Amino acid sequence: MKLTPRTCLIVDDSRIIRKVARRIVEGLGFEVDEAADGSEALAFCAGVMPEVILLDWSMPVMDGLTFLRRLRTLPDGAVPKVLFCTIETRAERIAEALSAGADDYVMKPFDGEILTSKFAEVGAV
Amino acid sequence: MSPEDFDRLQSLMASRAGFRLTRDRMKLAEHRLGPVARREGFETVDAMLGSLWAKPVATLGWSIIEALLNPETWFRRDRPTFDTLGGELLPALSRARTGQPVRVWSAGCSTGQEPWSIAMAALDAGAPVEIVGTDLSQRALEKARTGAYTGFEIQRGLKAETMLRWFEQADDAWIAKPQLRATVHFARANLLDAPTDDARFDVIFCRNVLDDMDPARRTQVLDNLERRLVDDGVLFLGPDERIEGDSVAFRAVAGRRGLFVKSPTAVRRAA
Repeated sequence: MKLTPRTCLIVDDSRIIRKVARRIVEGLGFEVDEAADGSEALAFCAGVMPEVILLDWSMPVMDGLTFLRRLRTLPDGAVPKVLFCTIETRAERIAEALSAGADDYVMKPFDGEILTSKFAEVGAV
Repeated sequence: MSPEDFDRLQSLMASRAGFRLTRDRMKLAEHRLGPVARREGFETVDAMLGSLWAKPVATLGWSIIEALLNPETWFRRDRPTFDTLGGELLPALSRARTGQPVRVWSAGCSTGQEPWSIAMAALDAGAPVEIVGTDLSQRALEKARTGAYTGFEIQRGLKAETMLRWFEQADDAWIAKPQLRATVHFARANLLDAPTDDARFDVIFCRNVLDDMDPARRTQVLDNLERRLVDDGVLFLGPDERIEGDSVAFRAVAGRRGLFVKSPTAVRRAA
């Protein structure tokens, strides 16, 4: 029996961050897709809902918070575990992201150990 | 660093800290001792070691020893341990102690992430606790006492929600809130030393310490832990740590990795 790999969408306008995050997340056994802003990510999710979304905050076209609020109104939009992953580290902004429906929050810079522990905390691995 | 210097460091670590400084850690040792040499005013690591060998082990010796210990730790390391603690053990122990605080010892607490994790589990479970965190390293304890962690450290093991609940942001640091700090007390202790008072604990955490120890010292450390544990108390080792031939004082609890209770022999001996 072949198990379907779990899926993760990485949303970040930096190609380098996407590449770094992809390597870590693939190491956790996920199949990874990428989007460069919230609008691309929303289009992707309307087609296939990933199990985990790694989400940057500040991006062109549509930012992460707007994406998250719209995602949560989609059918099955409550399904993905959303981890914000951003340079924004003020406590009140973190609280804002959590109340908008993020499951967890990663402050950049991060490393493989942090990301792995965050995936474990939200029950994704 | 010469092979002779490394040999002497190895035996220093074994005799004073029970620590097994394996040969593959030679480069790491050199790397860690650089800052100690600068701090202590030596030109080079070799010069510092030369001075160390010429005199009895005092402040400089201990600075060197603590720099070579393994400080690796993070919040809620081995999460099932904290689920067992908060979900089962602390509520049961709290009932058994009829409201008296449950006494917990974090032995080898390094920079404090473990005692804070225990404190969070206890406060979440509504179980009154008194936690003592001890370590051999003064520098690690200084950091533990500040309760302040970088963004990197704080999010290794903690969910953002938990972090916001128990830590306050101050510039780039995240600092343990007063409710958390009120439950933990830090002190220096060498696990090789036999207890000199009769303080006892209901729960002892000594995780990922024994694996780094000289096998000849494990029995001694386990015996000292046994003497500090109440008869119906529990001991947590790291999930992959085994006791086996090291001691007859404890037996593993089936189905709970890393959890040990006193063996009937140890309880009889105490009685």
